[in-house]
Amino acid sequence: MTTIPGVDSDLSTMMHAVFAEHAATGENSAGTPNPAFWQSLSELGLSRLTGSAESGGSAAGWLEAAQLLSAAAGAGVRIPLAEHDLLAGALLEAASLPVDDRLRTVAELDSSGVARAVPWASTAASIVTLWRSADSWLVADVDVSAFDEIIPGTNLVGEPRDRVTVDTGSLRGTPIDDTLVKQYRLKGALARAIQVSAALDRAMMLSCEHATTRTQFGRSLARFQAVQNLIADMAAESALARAATEAALVAAVQNGWSTDDLGFRVAVARSCTGHATTTVVRNAHQVHGAIGTALEHDLHRFTRAALAWRGEFGSVGYWDRRLAAAAAAAGPRGLWPLIAG
Amino acid sequence: MGTADLRREVRRFLAEQRSAGNYRPSIDCWLSAWDEDFTRALAAQGWIGMTVPSEYGGHDRSFVERFVVTEELLAGGAPVAAHWIADRQIVPSLLKYGTTQQKQRYLPGITRGEIFFGIGMSEPDAGSDLASVRSTATKTDAGWLINGSKVWTSGAHRAHAFIALVRTSPVDPANRHAGLSQFLIHLDSPGVQVRPIISMSGSHHFNEVFLTDVLVPDTQVFGTIGQGWEQVTSELAFERSGPERFLSTFPLLTQLTAMDDVPDLGRLVGRIAGLHQMSAAVAGALERREPADVAAAVVKVLGTSTEGDIAEAASLLSGDETAYEAGWRELVNAGLDQRPGFTLRGGTNEVLRGVIARGLGLR
Repeated sequence: MTTIPGVDSDLSTMMHAVFAEHAATGENSAGTPNPAFWQSLSELGLSRLTGSAESGGSAAGWLEAAQLLSAAAGAGVRIPLAEHDLLAGALLEAASLPVDDRLRTVAELDSSGVARAVPWASTAASIVTLWRSADSWLVADVDVSAFDEIIPGTNLVGEPRDRVTVDTGSLRGTPIDDTLVKQYRLKGALARAIQVSAALDRAMMLSCEHATTRTQFGRSLARFQAVQNLIADMAAESALARAATEAALVAAVQNGWSTDDLGFRVAVARSCTGHATTTVVRNAHQVHGAIGTALEHDLHRFTRAALAWRGEFGSVGYWDRRLAAAAAAAGPRGLWPLIAG
Repeated sequence: MGTADLRREVRRFLAEQRSAGNYRPSIDCWLSAWDEDFTRALAAQGWIGMTVPSEYGGHDRSFVERFVVTEELLAGGAPVAAHWIADRQIVPSLLKYGTTQQKQRYLPGITRGEIFFGIGMSEPDAGSDLASVRSTATKTDAGWLINGSKVWTSGAHRAHAFIALVRTSPVDPANRHAGLSQFLIHLDSPGVQVRPIISMSGSHHFNEVFLTDVLVPDTQVFGTIGQGWEQVTSELAFERSGPERFLSTFPLLTQLTAMDDVPDLGRLVGRIAGLHQMSAAVAGALERREPADVAAAVVKVLGTSTEGDIAEAASLLSGDETAYEAGWRELVNAGLDQRPGFTLRGGTNEVLRGVIARGLGLR
């Protein structure tokens, strides 16, 4: 189980227990968040963990939120916690718009009023909508009934990733600073890095358990050096993914979301988690043998989730290109200061 | 002073040294670039023996501050080989296991950049399997008589002394790690012969050191007789997690930023940045004296592969169809020639994967 440094251990334990209990009911399939479970998360103050106290949130920070996302991802529970609280709720509060407990997500529209692969749109009550006017970015909290179309789609693990269309002429938007839109994108990207890291940790753990309990050729798989090497490489890659993700998280918490170097830190986290996924997913399935590919086995709930999430809020290729562009802009003299500050 | 200020101070110093023509960034500078003038200039800045207490001529700085300085020096490709082993390996070992007399004898000179050390661990028949060292020390009235040979001793042809791991009692098959001890041996002692091992590039860093009836007084016993294995292994996390495990080819990566359409540039920059974070985290853990053996092994496995990947990326881009800037070929060739050593020295990556697997309870 993934633990984020600096988070109260009782709180972490509570979070892990909540998701483990829900996962044990077997009702964690993607699609619609279970209303009773969502209700219990709200009652525990977890559904709007970082919202301000005045708006009914729990006024916690991103470290606690990272722990919450890790606990859900590590338990294989599919739930729009990042979208509802860290993205939609935060945008509304930043724009001084009212927030309540209705389930929300965020859609960033293109110039024709369309947004693709909007997470959880088909299950939301309201969609915090971003679009660009001639002068500035605008934001509005839009009831789903106001959308022309919400065409359901899913990612690899069946989470709703829907295409939405709305006539922006019918919306009344509040102007917001460009930096808030950039921050929203970075927050989404970092949330996925946190989720991927937690999924990789769990895939690692399952592989260790399998290797120590499964016997072949008269001894446990863990006794074979070839198998040890597969797992050691998984451990190394997932540790790098975690280190890069925590570094970006700590930078955001300590210095805020608008510093110049946060974009680079998040890109590093996304590149490292993306490439770690390659090794961890490949080796985890190799260690598990055929059983790991069966629907009834747990492994795919973490390997496929990592594969799905590493391509959201930007593909691995996108983040690698951003890093390459940042390095090229820094040049030979500026590369090291870019990395080390 | 915050570490950010310290970083800037080192960068300023390096820029001055470069513009004065005192060095050009090199590959694997901590093994290959031996420059005693540069070492003394660094010492004058207070950047050697940083963690040594002032009573031994040191600077009372923290391990994290030392980490920051060494990271900057390696990122700048600075010629630090002369003092590298003494500063990284011998200082913490002396502080932990040395007698007062030994500390007084060596630490002030190391800190001034005047005393250089080697490491005497590997032997012809003991590479990764260090417990099978065969060199021996036999007690005599005058001290200890050392016989045997050490191999892959970096800088032994220029260093003043090394710490050798030898057997002081015969192998006990039930406990192969018992009966090993360490000795401080001056390389100009009678009976010491240093022979070069020329690398495939033609350069000379490594040596074989032959020890024939070398008499070492009792005052040069390092630590406790019979505790050599524990002494050697207790400090491995310092050696394995440092910035020299991912920055050996950094001067090549900096040049790649100036070239067009380098495949893999983003991934490599991301990995180096991630390794910087991870290595710094291990440095913090070591400063707090927390166990970090597995984390250090992870840094070394990933870091040494990545620094090799950087050499590979540079090599894949370099052919006869393009005119390159002066010095590029030499850097690329040095990267390729030094690369096999990255994943061998300080514990092969295969041994380290075993360390990680043990940490996970697999063995």
